[in-house]
Amino acid sequence: MNVVIDGKTIEAQAGETILECALRNGISIPHLCTHPALPPFGACRICIVEVEGMRGYPTSCSTPITDGMVIHTQTEPLRLLRRNILGLMMLEHPSACLICDRREVCDRYRPKSEKVGATTGCHTCNNKEVCEVRELSADLGLAEIMVAPQYHYRPIERSEPFIDRDLNLCILCGRCVRICKLHQGKSVIDFVHRSSQTHIGQAFGRNLHEAGCTFCGSCVDVCPTGTLSDRYAKWFGRPKTKTGTTCIYCDEGCALAIYASNGKSIMATGLYDNLPVCVLGHFAIPEFLNSPNRLRTPQIRVNKVLRPVTHDETVSRCAELLQNYSGKAFALVCDTSSTLEDRYVFKKFTQEVMKSPYYFEIEPDKKGFAKVIHVPDEVKAIITTGPFIPIELRNQFEVVIALDMFYNDWSKSADVVYPVGVFAEVSGTIMDKDNNLRPLVQACSPPGEAKPEWEVIQSIGKALSPDNWKAYDRVETITAELGLENISLNLNRKTPPPVSQKLKERREWFRGYRIEDYVSGLAVVRNFEEGKEPETEKEKDKSEIIESPKPFMVLSRRELVPNTYEFVIYVPAIAKKALPGQFVIVMVDKNSERIPYTLSDWDEEKGTITLIIQEKGLSSRKMISTLQGEQLAHVVGPLGTAFEIKKYGTVVILGGCYGTGAVLRLIRALKEQGNKVIMISEARSHYLAYYQKELSAVSDRFIQTTIDASSGEKGHAVDALKRLLDTGEKVDLVVAVGCPFMMMITAEETRSLGTKVLCALNPIMLDGTGMCGACRISVDGQTKFACVDGPFFDAHLVDWEEVRDRREAYSAEEIQAVSLTQPAETIHREPHHNYCSCMERG
Amino acid sequence: MTQPENPEIKATGTTTPKKGAKIPRQPMPEQAPEDRRHNFEEVPFGYTPELALLESSRCLDCKKPGCVEGCPVHVDIPGFIRLIREGKFLEAAQHIKKQNALPAVCGRVCPQEEQCESKCILGVKGESVAIGRLERFAADFERASGQVQLPEIPAKTGKRIAVVGAGPAGLTVAGDLIKLGHEVSVFEALHEPGGVLMYGIPEFRLPKEIVRAEVDYLKRLGVEFVMDFVIGRNATIPELFNNGYHAIFIGTGAGLPSFMGIPGENLVGVYSANEYLTRSNLMKAYLFPKYDTPPIKRNKVAVVGGGNVAMDSARTALRLGGDVTIVYRRAREQMPARAEEIHHAEQEGVKMMLLNNPVRIFGDEHHRVVGMECIRMELGEPDASGRRRPVPIPGSEFRLDVDTVIIAIGNQPNPLIPQSMPDLKTTKHGTLIVDQETMMTSVPGIFAGGDIVSGAATVISAMGQARTAASAIHRYLTG
Repeated sequence: MNVVIDGKTIEAQAGETILECALRNGISIPHLCTHPALPPFGACRICIVEVEGMRGYPTSCSTPITDGMVIHTQTEPLRLLRRNILGLMMLEHPSACLICDRREVCDRYRPKSEKVGATTGCHTCNNKEVCEVRELSADLGLAEIMVAPQYHYRPIERSEPFIDRDLNLCILCGRCVRICKLHQGKSVIDFVHRSSQTHIGQAFGRNLHEAGCTFCGSCVDVCPTGTLSDRYAKWFGRPKTKTGTTCIYCDEGCALAIYASNGKSIMATGLYDNLPVCVLGHFAIPEFLNSPNRLRTPQIRVNKVLRPVTHDETVSRCAELLQNYSGKAFALVCDTSSTLEDRYVFKKFTQEVMKSPYYFEIEPDKKGFAKVIHVPDEVKAIITTGPFIPIELRNQFEVVIALDMFYNDWSKSADVVYPVGVFAEVSGTIMDKDNNLRPLVQACSPPGEAKPEWEVIQSIGKALSPDNWKAYDRVETITAELGLENISLNLNRKTPPPVSQKLKERREWFRGYRIEDYVSGLAVVRNFEEGKEPETEKEKDKSEIIESPKPFMVLSRRELVPNTYEFVIYVPAIAKKALPGQFVIVMVDKNSERIPYTLSDWDEEKGTITLIIQEKGLSSRKMISTLQGEQLAHVVGPLGTAFEIKKYGTVVILGGCYGTGAVLRLIRALKEQGNKVIMISEARSHYLAYYQKELSAVSDRFIQTTIDASSGEKGHAVDALKRLLDTGEKVDLVVAVGCPFMMMITAEETRSLGTKVLCALNPIMLDGTGMCGACRISVDGQTKFACVDGPFFDAHLVDWEEVRDRREAYSAEEIQAVSLTQPAETIHREPHHNYCSCMERG
Repeated sequence: MTQPENPEIKATGTTTPKKGAKIPRQPMPEQAPEDRRHNFEEVPFGYTPELALLESSRCLDCKKPGCVEGCPVHVDIPGFIRLIREGKFLEAAQHIKKQNALPAVCGRVCPQEEQCESKCILGVKGESVAIGRLERFAADFERASGQVQLPEIPAKTGKRIAVVGAGPAGLTVAGDLIKLGHEVSVFEALHEPGGVLMYGIPEFRLPKEIVRAEVDYLKRLGVEFVMDFVIGRNATIPELFNNGYHAIFIGTGAGLPSFMGIPGENLVGVYSANEYLTRSNLMKAYLFPKYDTPPIKRNKVAVVGGGNVAMDSARTALRLGGDVTIVYRRAREQMPARAEEIHHAEQEGVKMMLLNNPVRIFGDEHHRVVGMECIRMELGEPDASGRRRPVPIPGSEFRLDVDTVIIAIGNQPNPLIPQSMPDLKTTKHGTLIVDQETMMTSVPGIFAGGDIVSGAATVISAMGQARTAASAIHRYLTG
């Protein structure tokens, strides 16, 4: 069967679609809703082609190929149509960033650790580095959005374990709904509501668990946007490596793909997409292996205390300890989570070096629980690879050597602790429940100085018996000695693993450890199963608050536009003294960071201050989770040097994101001094613009800009400024207040224009009173403290690269604190109340 | 901390002073270096009652006690030691508190070897009485007993004093003045009182629970603490007078970190000791992620400086898992740190690179520290401080492989208050000029003490000035 695609004659196979045939032959046709794991659907119509003799534009993903077809995939009408189709789709997706001219600069300048709030653009998107929509829009040359896009204001859903869902990004491709039907045989999620209200959800507003979700994660795997995201993996961007290996949480032997970056596992999925994996295979591996509680260095006991030492010291200590315990005085205990190679070396060591019959290999029960109740009384020295023996029996042993991954009662009381690599960190062979051999392929590195178990035992064997112990240089040598070569990973399953269909049958233990103690999302699943609802606080009655406000109490909290909140807080001491341009430092609770926020407005009579806050990281998330009527732990201010209010002439103020709200009082004060004030407010799209009425009321002229031209002028604020200067408007001073990216581009693009530009910097701070220097910046080669010398500096003299990198100083720690599989709402926080002496004043 | 298992413990009592002198100075039990370098718990455990009784019996109870002269706040040292010897531990603590509001703190952080203990007659031929350890014992005993007694407070005088800064000086002034019947309000910019005791001195040297207990004691005496309140921002000093305060004490300390002015000082990974210690101590970053402030966990740390703050920074960095080297431009003999602190740091594994001075810090493309260039120094002629001036040896530059640099070369006075009140006369170093007899500044009614007057010095010298100021304030208000 022959067809012609774009002038090339190609042999087609019976039963395949036009798209399949083209892709198989290296001809790319843009497509979106179709997915290799899914049957044809034909919903998005991006993959349309022209077929000679056929009317209209058939979708290549759902049109079967027939003999003699002449197909065109790249005609001009097709390109235009596809672009328009995508453009229409982008009307219900935060799309401004896709058509932004400064996208590349933005990618370079934005921090990667800002992924906690509602996504309103690419830089905070969960999907940023692996986004099919972004790739498609680049391919199709999408450059404008024809009509003002619509934002649905759907609350972001993040109270489920493992999965974050932001339906405001959804393009209704239906991949998740279809894969759920295919993999689960039922529709846990489906399209709910009709017409423009259609969205993905569970029937009757149930949560995922109630709707029967088993957290197989297949929906997350196929989502082309950031709508569905793996709460843990989203922090790490595009993985550097993908390795196929076998899951050993249970003995089903599922093939997994482990994705890693810099040797660290960051995500796991099934290796094949025709069948799902279970919750453990999909969501429980990276958080478990990357646990901060992993053992990292070999330790030996000196003067009753475990001390970190080198590999050699550890091994010679083991040899020294074990030399008097050969024969029946020695035992080695392991379970089947060790590879066949490991166990072979264990057994050989026990029998040949220690001359002991006591090699115990525990077969875990259905829940993965492995325990030895009794070890022969004559055993006095033991090597154990996990907490398998009840700790009450500890006193039986004179020598304990723990080859382990976490601290437990055994490793804490051991004479020697050697950290070992497990699971995806090692290579070897295991056997599944049907006695099939399956390969383990190392996909990430063991933590710190941890080593594979066979290597540790091998070193001890060599130290104890230098002449007789046969040393293995690599695991493959052992595999060969066992006669287990060429085990293929490609033993694809015919049926889904049972746990992917029945969540309750999952294993709870691995290697003697309760998995949910290390994988926070699993504990949440169990709470759901046990019917425990996460506690949610209700918004308090406003009338009651106004009667008796206490210091630091939130009097009102509202989401002005997606992810941007206005807080009114009762702090008379600040309201009385605040001046335009100053900031405050907030601690939400007693464990919080001290975070600076610019004062937007204040009311001396009411004793209130107003802050504009965007959810960006851990601390701002805590802040925006503070409800009306709750008290913050600390608010101190006003800090920083106030803006010098005098007659400048014409002042143009550029505001972006929080800065739009932060300049209200500045404009008023400048007006009072007889300045002409022109306010330019930028937003990505019309639905992100706020305070327009308030700002127009106080300024001489108000200009709104949006990236997608959906409201006011097109572009960033600096574009409107440049146009203004082009018209011959004499500008005496420009003040830019917004994110560092916005201020940086303003500085760079006005450098040659001869107008003075001030920017407002609020870098990472600690005390905010000039005591620590955390907020140092370089201005014209001089070191300045933003907290006392600032916040206002000459934007043309600021070292913007340094500003960016100093802001990134704690990104790794930030990610460590937020990359958990449990929902943010369930993370225990210290309450704010009744702690500090300032509360006593209230 | 000493647990008062048996507060009724009987004194050994009968030991005569002469015999006692032959008992050797009792060491304090402490955590082994290899243990303590991995935790933030306090290093010494403190005396047990038995050890305290033994040590107290060494005191000769001199008629003209030199130790009292050596104490900046003139604690009646033989008096409280006598009470310990008699087993009256609680009374001993109360006796100290007549002169010293913060005995548990001073017992830990005072340089006794230069003060009281340096004047002890036993020290002439042997070892002086361990006055600091006994003071600490008495204070800890009282706190753990839960029987902290409040002194009787005279009738209210109706005078109000505003204390600016809740550090050692401010707390001392507050304690002295409240006991004289005045009303005292302490204003603090940070969210916890204690000043350098809270943000500067690490947990393993001064547990924060002790500072909180001392502050609590002052609260119970009636001192008002106003936190998150920045004098100079939330209210000016004239406004304090307008709001009914009759006198003001400024104890805002030396909170402005000095940098070296060398290239690369703004790289990510270069910290002032103030920032480093504040993160760890005040913000509890070492308990991250339970606390939200991230710690600075790096591998190769250089601490620049040779004072107590440098030692505190180095030992903190060690506990956060770093390989730590102190880089100091003079020789060991010139190090301003207490000998005991240097000893503790070295014991725990801090390395010393003496007679070396940083020249520049290198960064990578992300502005992160990757190394530091140093130059070797030799000692030349004495400088103004009387110490031999370090002189660079030309051509001896070399590169140190580090990823973190902590600058602990000192602090300058916090400029916020002098800036907000130009009437206050300052020296060219930014310290406030005061009358040494009364600690009164150039503005009547405004007193000052501690590092804002003397530059960066010790806790106890701040407290000494504060005591002088407190009695002068009392005279000023009542005389």
